[in-house]
Amino acid sequence: MTKFQKIKNITRGVLSIILGAAMIKFPNKAYVFLVMLIGVGLLVYGISTLIYYFTMAMFMVEGKTMLYKGVIITDFAILTLSLADVPRGYVMFYLVALHAFTGLVEILRAFEAKRYGGRSWRLKLGHGLVDVGICIFCLMHLKNPNTVVIIYSLGLVYSGIMHLISALKSNTFVFVR
Amino acid sequence: MQEDFHYYATYCAAFLAGYDHYESLDICYSAQFVDMCSRTYLSGIKARTDAATTQLQLEMMDARTDIMGLQDITRIWASFHFLPKDLYATHKFRTRRYMNKYRLICGPNSDLLVKTVELARAGTLQAVGIAMHVLADTWAHANFAGTPSLVINNTTPDFYEIYTDEEGKEVEKKIHFRHNPSAADDLDGDNFTNSLYQGNEDSVMNLGHGRAGHLPDYSFIKYRYYPAWGDYHELIKDNPSDYMHAFAQMVYAMRYLRGEEESFEKDTYAWDVIEPYRERIDSILRKRQLNACADWKALGEELSGREIPDFDVNEYQVEYELVNKEQKREAFLGKFIKAALAQKGMVSSEIYKSGNLLGGFVKELLIKGRLS
Repeated sequence: MTKFQKIKNITRGVLSIILGAAMIKFPNKAYVFLVMLIGVGLLVYGISTLIYYFTMAMFMVEGKTMLYKGVIITDFAILTLSLADVPRGYVMFYLVALHAFTGLVEILRAFEAKRYGGRSWRLKLGHGLVDVGICIFCLMHLKNPNTVVIIYSLGLVYSGIMHLISALKSNTFVFVR
Repeated sequence: MQEDFHYYATYCAAFLAGYDHYESLDICYSAQFVDMCSRTYLSGIKARTDAATTQLQLEMMDARTDIMGLQDITRIWASFHFLPKDLYATHKFRTRRYMNKYRLICGPNSDLLVKTVELARAGTLQAVGIAMHVLADTWAHANFAGTPSLVINNTTPDFYEIYTDEEGKEVEKKIHFRHNPSAADDLDGDNFTNSLYQGNEDSVMNLGHGRAGHLPDYSFIKYRYYPAWGDYHELIKDNPSDYMHAFAQMVYAMRYLRGEEESFEKDTYAWDVIEPYRERIDSILRKRQLNACADWKALGEELSGREIPDFDVNEYQVEYELVNKEQKREAFLGKFIKAALAQKGMVSSEIYKSGNLLGGFVKELLIKGRLS
């Protein structure tokens, strides 16, 4: 992991912890800010991926994956930003689903890391399983929005801590010259 | 390329070009030292760190990937390991940003190679060694660029080894890659290590031939694959043939550096000089092994009748540290540093002159106002 990637992971971790804490403190308001933040973040990422495709990746073998990635992320961003006026229950359901998706991706990456002999697969698998577990727990309490917000916020704090750990631990660097 | 070619094969080439045993040792030591001279090493001996000719894995881990960081990486890798083939290459319907990376693709027989060899002519044996490293790598590292780039250095996973079977027919088999950095390549099991796919254009993981693993470093292997920049045209890399050309071109280049050739021309090789040894060299190049040091060493010792010591990275360190400041320039490492700075300056300047800023700004050119 390069310094830049470490800084990115630390920022993401700290931001997740702050947002998690804010949501526990202000359960009725902080989630709107979270949705906006995720939406804007995804929009910037989606558009920059599309620009990268049209200026660089479209000339690359198998570069179309960048186009698909850009379109899907931008689509997600627009959907996320449109959730501002939707009742809290639905927004929380969307956030929980997004969190579960992140957990699933982490589990898949853990299996991939294990297949290729990587050393970090246990940490990734644990992270993914806890994320999915938290989401299942949220869904079980969907009728009680305050409980869902607290469980989700704890999940956000946990996710933030895991990002900090992965940024601060030493990594194996696969570089062949 | 590895120690087998940069050290032992370069010794053989230097001796065949007419250098004596000790001169050949200085040349091959310098050629191999290019892979060792990192910022960490240079700061350890209190030398100029901008003379670094390589970056260690740990240094790469901390490398910045902003424009300044990319320029630093490019100056090192394009100058010494991936000499660009054509800084003015054209390609229809491509953006400037893409072309700046495309023009850094490495390949043999470039104008920059001629400039590299001519630069070494006025220099020391250390400069000759550096030039031979650069020359040899233009063959081994062809089709990859010495700058981080997904759109240039990526490949599809479809690699096939082409080999001759017992009946003499050319057949092929799929090459399997894994990403375990601690596992050595398994030639019998056809398991090779390569770097992981990184979707970030400027990730250091997308530098050089990481996606092809060590395949470019093995002289025995012939394979086909699809490079990211190749518009879905497959590329066949015939290492035994390329390495033979590299060896013959090194002999020719060093004959020019000794004054035995009037000029250094592209695509010219000392086939006549190596002819008596060609079969032997070919058998070394085609031998399926991870490292051909022992075979090249045996050939070198047969040629000169002298023992070739193993490469020791610290061989000249004490000499450099003991001499006073004024004498450091005349020490072995001092001469190497001077030659490395000259090579890096020349390549960076040529990249800059081509209108490409990936190698950074060149102070001298800015001062002289040679560029608008």
